[in-house]
Amino acid sequence: MTTHALERFDLAAIERSERVARGSSWIALGACALISLVWLVPFYYLVATIFKTTQEYTLSDPFAPPRSLSPILDNAVTAWNEATMGYGMANSALYGALGAGLAVLFAAMAAFGLTRLDYRGKNALFMTIFAGTIFPFQMYLIPLFFMYGRLGILNTHFGMLLFYTAICIPFPTLVLKNFMSALSREIDEAARMEGAGEFTVFLRIVLPNALGPMTATFLLQFTWIWNDLLFSTVLGNRAEVRSIMNSLQVFQGSYASTGPNVVLTAALIASLPSIALFFLLRRHFMEGLKVTGL
Amino acid sequence: MARPKETDEDLLRRIGFAAIERRERARQNHNRLVALAFMAPALILVVFVLLVPVAINVYLSFMNWRKFSGIDQFAGFANYADLGSSPYFFDALLNTAVWVAASLVFPILIGLGLALLFRGVRFEETFKNIVFLPRILAPTAVAVLWFYVYAPHGLLNRVVGFFAHAAIDVGWLYDQATVTPSIILTFVWQTVGLVMVLLLLGLNAIPKDPLEAARIDGATPWDAFRAIILPLLTPTLLVVTILCVLAGFTVFDLLWVMGAGYPGLRTLSLAIFMYFEAFQKGGWSFGSATAVIIGLVVLSATWLQAWLQHRVEQTLR
Repeated sequence: MTTHALERFDLAAIERSERVARGSSWIALGACALISLVWLVPFYYLVATIFKTTQEYTLSDPFAPPRSLSPILDNAVTAWNEATMGYGMANSALYGALGAGLAVLFAAMAAFGLTRLDYRGKNALFMTIFAGTIFPFQMYLIPLFFMYGRLGILNTHFGMLLFYTAICIPFPTLVLKNFMSALSREIDEAARMEGAGEFTVFLRIVLPNALGPMTATFLLQFTWIWNDLLFSTVLGNRAEVRSIMNSLQVFQGSYASTGPNVVLTAALIASLPSIALFFLLRRHFMEGLKVTGL
Repeated sequence: MARPKETDEDLLRRIGFAAIERRERARQNHNRLVALAFMAPALILVVFVLLVPVAINVYLSFMNWRKFSGIDQFAGFANYADLGSSPYFFDALLNTAVWVAASLVFPILIGLGLALLFRGVRFEETFKNIVFLPRILAPTAVAVLWFYVYAPHGLLNRVVGFFAHAAIDVGWLYDQATVTPSIILTFVWQTVGLVMVLLLLGLNAIPKDPLEAARIDGATPWDAFRAIILPLLTPTLLVVTILCVLAGFTVFDLLWVMGAGYPGLRTLSLAIFMYFEAFQKGGWSFGSATAVIIGLVVLSATWLQAWLQHRVEQTLR
């Protein structure tokens, strides 16, 4: 039986196709390496540039490696001072931590109300919150600008936090609602029988179970706030209130006497927190990606 | 001492149907109140900071706006008609169409190509990480970086000059012919990693057996791709398509930073046009009308995606 089956295959042909496959895998590997190299060129340029002095950058080839590593300290100090990055970093850290933190907490509370209690009309309430994700940002800008002006919270930390918290609520609500509706409700009921109030059930039973997706959505929303340029430009365009990306944009656009070496150092410093977060919490990010994308 | 079996109806009659209903309604009302208390912060913030502004924006787009007295009177579609006769608006619309088409075609084609190429190759993880790398920089930082890549004395001219054996100092971001393609290239560099990862998630969910069977039956890789992989990948491709369209349609940071020196900045895209007209020139009615148009397009794209997704899921089932 086995020998009969083997005879049906042309062994030489199999070997030939194997060899072709191995050869083409070398070609594929080469292609992959080439593409990766092309992808890395701008990063090389970034790294080479931040180690040059302004004079060195002007005189040398953009591809030339830096002559020494020490200019980066000067570049960083200049960038930090002239781009008011101290304000920018502190502001964005505040907006990101508090805004995304509150948003995820409010989203978890909303998701609790949407999944752990029985009543009619849930869908309308959920759709009201979810509607916050379907409009493009451009539709918020002009009315918010005038509402903020009327209320006197334009260019204030409070105004920025208010917006960032609100915009970060709908998406975590969707994720946490899906998560919580899959959690067993038996423990809830048991706790209620024991006389626990709804707030205790939320705080002691549901919240500890939802910490995983809450962390994932918090990181996604934190990164979104950290990277935001548009709303800081419209609602918080004052040096003391600016987000870090806004500080960077203003610095780059100010045509100061500073060269690309300093501006690119600022760009890298501004990106460091989100880079660090990404590497520290890759697993959560990939989880978040799966929830966002599919 | 067996009690006679009580039917549900008997039970209802014994305790009283009305009483049960009343108690059930009271329980529901109580639950609804508790739930509303839990949802209050989220509802209040979303309604007053997001939904009310959207309504106001629509309202503003139908109103006249005078420089000093503010909102004046109902203007009907006059603001939209004004938009139609603005040459800048037309250019912005055209460029947006180019953006959407390019941000649809290039990231998906390249992302799919890389996903297929990288799959199963040695050092797969390394290659994937490298292509994903631009994604973890902030978009504003990416824009600043490429601003200098495209500068007259920047990196790109150096590379082109090297291959052309000549000194080149094209201002890629200052010329009408090159500004949009240049920024699109940056967008592709930044986006392909994410598209590729999403497509790989979809590819890895495809069962191996039909592919194996097709290979044994002598199907070429292209046949296998067209007949098996592509249909099964369609739902993922749909999601990615819409993500790309929405991103391309509303992107602000890249254009705003990289186009800063371009004289025709406002024509780069509708999102930029809207910001420029409203916040730099004070054309609030113009701006809100543009925002409504952007909103309509985005909503129809999202709706189309939901509808297509539904159709595809039904066909696959």
